[in-house]
Amino acid sequence: MIHLLAFLLYVGAFSLWIHFLVKGSRGEGPTFASAIAGAAVVVHAIALGDYWVRYEELPLVGPGAALSSLAFIGGLALLATIPLREAARVGIALLPFITICLGIAMILGIEPSPLSVDFQGVGFVLHVTFAFFGYQGLALAFAAGILYLIQHHELKSKRLGRFFRFIPPLATLDLLGRVGVWAGFAMLSLALGLGWAWTTANRGSLEVGDPKVIWAVLSWFIFVAIIVARRGTGRTDYRGAMAAVIGFAVVICSYLALRLTVGGAGLFL
Amino acid sequence: MPIAVVGVSHHTAPVEVRERMAFSDSDAARALLTLRARTGIEEAVLLSTCNRTEVYLYPVLEAECLEAAQRLFAEKAEGLERPADEYLFQREGESVVRHLFGVSAGLDSMVTGEAEIQGQVRDAYLRSAGDGREPALTGPVLNRLFQTALAVGGQIRAETSINEGTASVASVAVELARKIFGQLKEKRILILGAGATAELMVEALAREGVRGVLVANRTYSRAEELAERLEGRAIPIERLTEGLPRADIILASTAAPHPVLTKERFHEAFPNGRHRPLLIIDIAIPRDVEPRVGDADGVFLYNVDDLRKIVDEHVELRSEAIPAANRIIDERWREFRSWYASREVVPVIRRMREQAEVHRAAELERLFGSLETLDPEERGRVEEFSRRLLNKLLHDPTVRLRKGMARGGGAELVDAVRFLYGIEDRQPSPPNTERERADREPRRQGERAPHPTRDPQHGVVE
Repeated sequence: MIHLLAFLLYVGAFSLWIHFLVKGSRGEGPTFASAIAGAAVVVHAIALGDYWVRYEELPLVGPGAALSSLAFIGGLALLATIPLREAARVGIALLPFITICLGIAMILGIEPSPLSVDFQGVGFVLHVTFAFFGYQGLALAFAAGILYLIQHHELKSKRLGRFFRFIPPLATLDLLGRVGVWAGFAMLSLALGLGWAWTTANRGSLEVGDPKVIWAVLSWFIFVAIIVARRGTGRTDYRGAMAAVIGFAVVICSYLALRLTVGGAGLFL
Repeated sequence: MPIAVVGVSHHTAPVEVRERMAFSDSDAARALLTLRARTGIEEAVLLSTCNRTEVYLYPVLEAECLEAAQRLFAEKAEGLERPADEYLFQREGESVVRHLFGVSAGLDSMVTGEAEIQGQVRDAYLRSAGDGREPALTGPVLNRLFQTALAVGGQIRAETSINEGTASVASVAVELARKIFGQLKEKRILILGAGATAELMVEALAREGVRGVLVANRTYSRAEELAERLEGRAIPIERLTEGLPRADIILASTAAPHPVLTKERFHEAFPNGRHRPLLIIDIAIPRDVEPRVGDADGVFLYNVDDLRKIVDEHVELRSEAIPAANRIIDERWREFRSWYASREVVPVIRRMREQAEVHRAAELERLFGSLETLDPEERGRVEEFSRRLLNKLLHDPTVRLRKGMARGGGAELVDAVRFLYGIEDRQPSPPNTERERADREPRRQGERAPHPTRDPQHGVVE
């Protein structure tokens, strides 16, 4: 029930942003949408807290619970942009991802998995949490990147319409993209390191054939590719935005491909 | 409604005439005092901006008041080739209310929706309302009218897109720069040419924090002159290629007959491409920057036609908001009319009730004279009955009269009631509020007039 309320608030904030985009607003309206998004994150935190108290375990294992936690970390990323005022409008591109994750989690059922018994300990909790932060860093870079490309197109085509007015400046989006990528890369690197240590300690060796390991390593290389795209000569900001959008799409597509072809209980998400 | 406005605006007169009819703050106060002395007008406000000078008057009961106002303009603009009244417009009655609401909202401005007029209307009103040191030149009607106009201006700007987008070439340049760079602090600008237009645009950008001005001009001494004024640095135009990599914004406005910044020169300046975005504003005719330069990665090139097109789109967007703005004006105009009408009807209703009360008292006295056997309790009941009967009889006419006035059919109704109840005199309406009461009372020396308070968004409220 609390999850449903959080979901509705996320949807409400997204709808408001769309409304203000269509209206071409720049004043108090979008600030109000940010406030609703903030409320959604708070309610989501309560929902996850309730899960923890009720089941006496963190919502990290099992597709429903894990997706809800992933969505919540996306909400935290959005919350972090709110004090930056105009930058919070990145929520218009980030909220669909958060809302879809939470929606699927609710459909799958947010409840403990039988695998929970196998996956315990501080190392495991940190591994999963860091990984989620890593993926949400990429999602933030994607959201900033897609808005960057739209704003860039508006400026190049000299069409200063509603998108131009609503979307934050290129420099702000570039900064968000850079922060998202670097923070995400650091978190995913830590998650991989901890995952490797945890698997070696508990299972004896790294399970290199495990689909989720393949996916995580692929994601790590995508981060590396985005970072490389952001370096060198020429328009690194434009390349960085483009790379973040493509990289995020590849991560999602590869996840879906693994989920559909391999599936199985070994996957957390 | 005996209210009028006489004035000149960009609709009726060219700038040469408007500037002759403009009043400074001190001139405005003197002019209004003169007008008051000549006509006995109770309330007056003079609004003087670069696009209009208007004097609002209340009550205007004789044509001489309007003539005196016209004379005021004629005296101010003495020596015009044509008679001053050829440039003047005047409005009377309720249309004045709609006119002022439109002016305050920027609907009557040269650039629709511009915000500056709201502050100018507020200043003009506050000047007349006084600060307590001088006697106020406004009273209950103009106080209410101007306060409502300021609120209407704020409401229209908040609820419609009347002030959406920027409506001048300089402000479009600033908005473009903001949408590319975010914060403009510490951004560097390179000016090609040393014309006045470029200077104006640089000033607009400098207000946003742009620093580090480089000026390149064919005549080096002129580049130095402009650089000194803008606290920047001059470079010879031959060294333009060296200056380009330092700039975030380039403003081109030379009088050169051929492009100054060619694609080849651009590549020479950036052999490995540019790392940062570059905004180029080319306001020169013929153009200073080859269009192909705009194809380069990260270069946003806007020429004068692009900027003008953006301004036109914004103006069009603003004009789409006019019907919505007019609906707000209609609504607030009805409220104002209703308020004004209530000022007229209240004394009539009071007189009607007083008269009925006199008749009731007289009839009761006669009745009690013929029924001396009634005890006090019975007398009390009869008295109560008569009071309730009177209230019942007067309730419906009172309510209908108020409603009729609010709908705008007031004057005839009030006359009819006066006729039917034999209410002869048109007495001055009693004050409705503490503020009106205070406005009417003569002030002792040194006593402050009640002063309107400022509302940051809507201007002034009571």
